[in-house]
Amino acid sequence: MATRRSTEKTLPKEVAAPSSSGKSSDSDVTPAVPTNVIMKLAGFSVAMIFAPIGMYFVTVNLGASPTVGGIIAAIMANVVLFAYIFVAWKDDQAEREFDLKQKEKKGQ
Amino acid sequence: MADSEFTPKFAPFFSFAGIASAMIFGSLGAAYGTAKSGIGIAGVGTFRPDLIMKSLIPVVMSGIIAVYGLVISVLIAGDLDPPPNKHMSLYTGFMHLAAGLSVGLAGVAAGYTIGIVGDAGVRAYMQQSRVYVGMILILIFGEVLGLYGLIVGLILNSKSSG
Repeated sequence: MATRRSTEKTLPKEVAAPSSSGKSSDSDVTPAVPTNVIMKLAGFSVAMIFAPIGMYFVTVNLGASPTVGGIIAAIMANVVLFAYIFVAWKDDQAEREFDLKQKEKKGQ
Repeated sequence: MADSEFTPKFAPFFSFAGIASAMIFGSLGAAYGTAKSGIGIAGVGTFRPDLIMKSLIPVVMSGIIAVYGLVISVLIAGDLDPPPNKHMSLYTGFMHLAAGLSVGLAGVAAGYTIGIVGDAGVRAYMQQSRVYVGMILILIFGEVLGLYGLIVGLILNSKSSG
């Protein structure tokens, strides 16, 4: 009992810390993955499946030679890839800025 | 024009072999790349879920390897026609086989690279964020191996219609 009481003094601090972390873990769990991330991934999946082969058929139907169509299909696949890298990089930048702001808030 | 020395009956066999090898080997490489880097991403995701989005890049690149195989397969298939309409020369058949094999086996090489680099790179990225640019560069150089195969395949394929 005596030991319990002695810890009770520091309890408010300890309670504050887990509750804040508990809150953040709650907000992590509720929207398991944010909707905008899912939309991004779904969009890139669709683009990856349809953009190259679709562009191939479009160019061939427009009268270009199949070789040109193949080249354009390969280029489209790489365009999708670089778009993904760009989006992921942007995502990370936004997250880093958010973290920085949070840190500044905590510092104040 | 019926069968001749240059257009034997079995010539289309090699074209079909080219289509199949482009798709099979290309998908093999892509599958290895996806699976191996997927292991790494799953390992990272348990510790740093926020990095999953950026760690998916090797998977996207593996997908591109399969797209290369798909493109060359569609190209070769476009050249084919059943015998009464078209008697294909053995030369064209061999060329299609070469195009398919160069894309497919280059795809295996690229997928293997992407898998191993993706796995190790993503795990390293978890601990040191500066690895990211290096990882992407290495991945791009690995993926370019498959692109070279596709370029050779396209050049070879363009010779058949000329």
